[in-house]
Amino acid sequence: MQTENVPSILSVRNLSIWYGDKQVLRDLSFEVKQGQVTAFIGPTNSGKSTLVRCINRLNDFTPNFRSTGDILFRGVAMGTASDATALRKQIGMVFRKPIPFRGSIYENVAYGAQISGVNASTHLDTIVEKNLRKTGLWSEVENILGETPEQLSIGQQQLLCIARALAVEPEILIFDEPCGELDPIETVKIETLVRELTKDYTLIFATNKRRQAARVSDVAGFLYCGELIEFGATEKIFTNPQDNRTEQYVTGRLG
Amino acid sequence: MNVMTTCALRKQKLVSQIITFIFIGIVGAPISGVLQKTYAADTEAASAATPLNTLSPLLDDLYTVLSISFVAILFGIACAFYLQEWLPQTNWVRRFIESVVAILGGVPSIFYGILAIGIFFTDAGTLKTVGIVRGPQDIGDGSALGPLSFQYDTPVFYIVVLTFILMVTPMTIKTTQAALRSVATPIREATYALGASHWQVLRRQVIPIALTRILATGCRAMSSALATVALIFGIYIWQYTNGPREMSNRFILFLSGALFLSIFSSVLIKLCASASADPTHPTR
Ligand SMILES: Nc1ncnc2c1ncn2[C@@H]1O[C@H](COP(=O)(O)OP(=O)(O)OP(=O)(O)O)[C@@H](O)[C@H]1O
Ligand SMILES: [Mg+2]
Repeated sequence: MQTENVPSILSVRNLSIWYGDKQVLRDLSFEVKQGQVTAFIGPTNSGKSTLVRCINRLNDFTPNFRSTGDILFRGVAMGTASDATALRKQIGMVFRKPIPFRGSIYENVAYGAQISGVNASTHLDTIVEKNLRKTGLWSEVENILGETPEQLSIGQQQLLCIARALAVEPEILIFDEPCGELDPIETVKIETLVRELTKDYTLIFATNKRRQAARVSDVAGFLYCGELIEFGATEKIFTNPQDNRTEQYVTGRLG
Repeated sequence: MNVMTTCALRKQKLVSQIITFIFIGIVGAPISGVLQKTYAADTEAASAATPLNTLSPLLDDLYTVLSISFVAILFGIACAFYLQEWLPQTNWVRRFIESVVAILGGVPSIFYGILAIGIFFTDAGTLKTVGIVRGPQDIGDGSALGPLSFQYDTPVFYIVVLTFILMVTPMTIKTTQAALRSVATPIREATYALGASHWQVLRRQVIPIALTRILATGCRAMSSALATVALIFGIYIWQYTNGPREMSNRFILFLSGALFLSIFSSVLIKLCASASADPTHPTR
C-alpha cells in the first residue's frame, strides 16, 4: 500500500498524557492516513487504550486526566474548545467488550442513526439493513430484528456494536482490542470485516496480539511504557524494525 | 438455548412477583377497611353528638402528607441528579451536601416523628391550633371535637414541611445517587462514543436503567413519611384516650399506607435486582 501520497486525516503532535501524577504517554507524534488501518501494538499497560480514547475524547470523563500537545482532525485541533459530541460522531469507537444497549437489535442499530439526526422510520429501516449488511450480520438477524441482543453470541454482539457505530456515519472508526473476548472463528470474521471497511473508513486498531496487527494493518506503531518506539509501514515494522525493542517485541522476546 | 431458558425464567419470576404484589393489595385493602369501619362505629357510638365526617378530612390529611413528601422526594431526586451527573466528585458543594446527607440519612425516622410531636402538641393535651385545627365544633376543652385537619398557611405547617424535607430528602438523595452510580461507566462511554450528548446519555441509558430503583426509593421514602405521621397520631391516641376517635382512623390509614408502600418498594427493588442481572451481558 502506498503510504506517501495518501492525505493524512489525523495528526498527533507531541501528545503527553497524565493520570494524576502518573505519566502514561510520553511525547507521541504521528500521522494517520485516510483510508488505511493504523494499528497500535504493545504489551499490557503500554497506553494503547489511553491513546485511542484520546482520539475521540472519551478521556474527557476520566478524573485526574491531563494532557499536553495537540491532536488535529482534518487540520483542526480538537482541543477542549470544540464540540466533543460532534467530533465523536465523526470518530466512532468499538470496545473490547461488546456493549449492546437496552432494546431490540433493530433499536440498537437505529440508535446510531438517531444520534446523527435521522428519525423518519423508512430511512431508519434502510440504514439498519445497510449497516447490518456491511457487517455481515444481516442474514443472521434478519428475522429476529425485534428481539433483544442477549441471545446473540459475543461475536455477533460485537458485529452489532460495529453496525451501530457505522450507522452514525463516522469517518474514522477506532477499535480497542475488538477481539479480546472472542473465539478464533469470530476473530477471523472481525479481521476480515476490518479489511473490508477500509474502502469507506479510516481505521485505528489497538491490539496486544502482534500477529493480528500484522494481518489487518497498513501502518503500525509500537508503544512501550507510554513511548511510541517506532511508527511506520506494517511490513517494515514486522520484517525490518529499526529499533532493538521493536524487534524484540515482534519476535516475541519482549512483553 | 441456555440464554433463552434464563430469559423465560426471568419472565416467570417477574409474573409471580407481580401476582404476589396484587394479592397483597387485594387482601390488605379490605383488612384496613374493616379496621377503619370498626373504629368508625366505635366512634359513632361514643359520641352521637358529633357527626362524624371521617373520610373526607382523613383523606385530605393523607393527600397533604403524600403531596408534601412527593415534593420533598422530587426535590431529592433532582438534587441527586445534579450532584451525581453534573458536579465532579471533587466539587466542594457536592462533598458538603453528600456529607450532610450521610449524617441526616443515618438519623432514624422516629427521631423526626418525635420532633414533629413536639411541634404538634401542647402539654395541656390539646392540639396546637396552629398546626392542626379542629372543625367548627371546636370549643377548646376536648369535650366536643370536630374533625381534625392540617391547616396550611401557618408557620407550624411550614415547620412540618421542613421536618418532612429533612427526613425524606436526604434519604432520597442517598438512594437515588446509588441508583445512578449503578449505571456502569462502560455503557455510558459506549453511548458517548456514538456522539451522544449528556442529555441523550441520560435519556437513553441512565434514566431507563435507574428508573425502577429510583421509583422504589421514592416509595420507600413516602412510606417512612406516612409511618412517621402514623406514629404521631398513634402517640396522640395513646396519650389522650379521651381525644377524638378519628385519630385512630388516621393512625390505621397512614400505617397501612406506609406498609403498602414499603412492600411495593421492596417488590420494585426485587424486580430491578432480577432485571439488572445484566440483561445485555448474560453470564456464561
Ligand atoms: N482512569 C485511569 N486512571 C489512572 N490510571 C489509568 C487509568 N486508565 C489507565 N491507567 C493507567 O495507564 C496505563 C496505560 O493503560 P492503558 O489501559 O492505556 O494500557 P493498554 O495498553 O490499553 O493495556 P491493555 O493491553 O491491558 O488494554 C496503565 O498503567 C494504567 O494503569
Ligand atoms: Mg487497553
